[in-house]
Amino acid sequence: MTHYELFLATYMKGFDILLFVLVYSRHLQRRLPFFAVYATTILVTNLGTTFVYAYFGFRTSISFYAAWIAITATLLTRSFAIAELCSDILAGYRGIWALTWRVLGLLTVAFLVDAAIDAQGQPHWIQAYGLTLERDIEIASVVILIAMLLVGAYYRLPLDPLQRSLVTGLCLFCVIQIVNTTVFRNFFTQYISSWTTGQSQLNLMNNVWNTVYIAASSLCIGLWCYALRKPLPEPVQAPVLLPAGLYQELSPELNLQLRSFNDRLLELLKS
Amino acid sequence: MNGLTYTIPPAIAILAILWFLLRPQSPAAKKTSGPLGDFKAGNPVLMHYRFFPQIRQALSEVDDNYLGEAAPPQVARQARRERRAIARHFLGGLREDFSNLEQMGRMIAAMSPVVNRRQETERFLLGLKFQFICALVWLRLYTGKMPIDQIQYLTGVLGRLAARMEQAMTEINALSAQQPAGRVSV
Repeated sequence: MTHYELFLATYMKGFDILLFVLVYSRHLQRRLPFFAVYATTILVTNLGTTFVYAYFGFRTSISFYAAWIAITATLLTRSFAIAELCSDILAGYRGIWALTWRVLGLLTVAFLVDAAIDAQGQPHWIQAYGLTLERDIEIASVVILIAMLLVGAYYRLPLDPLQRSLVTGLCLFCVIQIVNTTVFRNFFTQYISSWTTGQSQLNLMNNVWNTVYIAASSLCIGLWCYALRKPLPEPVQAPVLLPAGLYQELSPELNLQLRSFNDRLLELLKS
Repeated sequence: MNGLTYTIPPAIAILAILWFLLRPQSPAAKKTSGPLGDFKAGNPVLMHYRFFPQIRQALSEVDDNYLGEAAPPQVARQARRERRAIARHFLGGLREDFSNLEQMGRMIAAMSPVVNRRQETERFLLGLKFQFICALVWLRLYTGKMPIDQIQYLTGVLGRLAARMEQAMTEINALSAQQPAGRVSV
């Protein structure tokens, strides 16, 4: 492990510990248990891989597999945290949630299938396979978060400052990582297919990837820590919903009038 | 560099969308945010259609004919241009009324425990169609003449809905008086 890599790892642990402490001191685990598990996983995997690197060496197969296990655990818990965040924002509005969860679920399945197919086409090297899968899951995460935000904006659903920070952090991290992973994956697949690039260049790319990863993580964890700096307000009560009959009565009437308005406008154009 | 050229533009586009969706709101906007939004503030759902009698007077054909006969050609042309501008502004107002109605439909859906997928999809498509047709009508008003009775019909459609919607709003506002406050909108 180089001094630079050691510095990055230590720097990241500081952020992870701060997030972990803030999440549990603000009792976020009561409201968003999966997000709390995600914050814990980030810290545990970081500490675990540091221990493995220190004990077995940085460039050994055990360290290599430990790093990939850490990445998988983080990806999995992050996916659950994203699903939980969508539910936290939309589930209070029962009608809208019933309408959208299937769409979001379908999007997830579609992207996971695409990720599996995409990764299947890669050479049988765990890095190329893993990097492709990681990138595609990050693309899926961004698409799902943006779809959820679009639904929220369309129906003007409220978003509290904490939810806003969590969504911003997750999206920023995923977008930066998509670019980072794509570049590294392309470099790596080129490297293993032609063997024209030297080991020093591979190490350089590895360092660039690590630096961007740390920068993206710091940015999003910093955002979350900032949002958690003050005690969380009392949990917001679920919105008081209208009687179902009102929607059934007004919605068709409203659509009928909007349709006739459009038809008339169209006639007006043709006349 | 490998992949940078085709990943950076979509990444910037995604960040722009994200900024648009999560941009900070002004304190005034925060006050009227949430599904009930502007409706809660006591604003009428439909506003502009009420001014149609004045608009009709301003755009009447009799006035137009009189102008053509009595006024010098240059003045008549100028007056017609201004009348078309008034019609375009009124169309803008009707557009706002339509948007308010559409927004009200979304608000009722958001606050309803059961939502019909077909109704929601239809309203979404109707909104898109309206924006498109409205742009074409505006263009037509800008370039030529639009018969006043056609605009009158559009106003009538909105007018018929207004009373029913305002009655519904009273009911909704009474129910939403128990709504938790202090959250900001997407």
